[in-house]
Amino acid sequence: MEQRMFKADGIVLRTRILGEADRLVTLLTLEEGKFEAVARGARKIKSKLAAGVDLFNYGHFTFHRGKTWPIITGQDTIKSFSCFREDPDLYPYGIYMAELSDRLISGEQPCAEICRLLLEGWKLLGEKNTDRFLLCRSFELKLAHISGYSPHLHSCTNCGSEKALAFSPRQGGLMCSCCQAADAIKMDPGTAAVARRLIKAPLSQSSLVRLSDSQKKELACVTAAFLTYHLDLGEIKSRRLLAE
Amino acid sequence: MVYPGHLKKLVEALTRFPGIGQKSAQRIAFYLLGCSREDVVAIARAMVDAKDKLGFCQTCGSLAETDLCIYCSDSKRDNNLLCVVQEPRDVLVLERTGQYSGLYHVLHGALSPLDGIGPEELKLDRLVSRIRESEIREVIIATNPNVEGDATAGYLARLLNPLSVRVTRIAFGLPVGGDIEYADDLTLSRALDGRRVI
Repeated sequence: MEQRMFKADGIVLRTRILGEADRLVTLLTLEEGKFEAVARGARKIKSKLAAGVDLFNYGHFTFHRGKTWPIITGQDTIKSFSCFREDPDLYPYGIYMAELSDRLISGEQPCAEICRLLLEGWKLLGEKNTDRFLLCRSFELKLAHISGYSPHLHSCTNCGSEKALAFSPRQGGLMCSCCQAADAIKMDPGTAAVARRLIKAPLSQSSLVRLSDSQKKELACVTAAFLTYHLDLGEIKSRRLLAE
Repeated sequence: MVYPGHLKKLVEALTRFPGIGQKSAQRIAFYLLGCSREDVVAIARAMVDAKDKLGFCQTCGSLAETDLCIYCSDSKRDNNLLCVVQEPRDVLVLERTGQYSGLYHVLHGALSPLDGIGPEELKLDRLVSRIRESEIREVIIATNPNVEGDATAGYLARLLNPLSVRVTRIAFGLPVGGDIEYADDLTLSRALDGRRVI
């Protein structure tokens, strides 16, 4: 028989107002995957849960199985990423990572690897010398890799030629000049090498990579197009604020 | 449950109010049926009038019956102080304290990219031009103390600081009447940061 009470360590990905004083919280947990839970009275100023169920929080949660949604009965914060509250420049980046993770995970499947990636991404965003652009590209590529959609970045996806100069989001990899598809985006070998490195190297090493402005543009175009096509993410709302 | 047609319609209409379920709706419906016709008409008229006659102030965005709200048209209010809030109901809450006598500006939301609310939706350019064209010396940011509210406050501070006005944020801390024992870590650390000499 299913237990009425359960516990999980989770990250708050999103919150919405529910009724008068409740919040509907989207949690990404290590044990139970992604699900929504109700934080009763969390909008009230004296609520014990209010701070713990706000965005960018990672904590131990206890739940009671409710009729529609689990009800959060307790919360202990493990780490609160308050840097996103304090720095308006950082906020869009944190939201972007949360939205990507939220959109990618569809249901209650265990996703500890994505949880850990998001926690590390948020931690690095809060550090001083982080290159936020490269960190976000690395995060996107790693997220795709974990989901089983790693782009083919070694040779032409079609013929195997190593002289590939473009990237086809539909084909999911590099294309040479002979095989080039209609949707191909220019991607020079240096940018492809950087993308390969960003997938393999730890997230913390993404800031060590050096790229020219044109290569940065290429990389941003390629990752955005690849994610949109293969992961069926649709419109990523936080991208607009990130662009501003 | 089987209701007579009009009672069913009334109960269904009342369940559309926030926090009103089937049982409460039924209770209110029976209360209304017990009232005199004049009372019921007065209640219905008050609702329709409020909907028809209330709009938003052209200057500050709070609730108003004419182009200007009662705060913007009151010459006794302090023109040097401006309090920025998220929703029109926040104005009423602040007024209830009786501690504030300045002007207001209502954003009608907070920065929330996931809900499609960016700086453009908050019409921040209107706030900037209002400050430029007036005698405002201090802007108090009283957005909600959550992530969206804090991010909006940070964004506003960066936007308004070059205008040579003093930008302040309402204080954070423990609610009056609560026990420290039950306070969460973030609230407590913010209360410590915001401590003051007594």
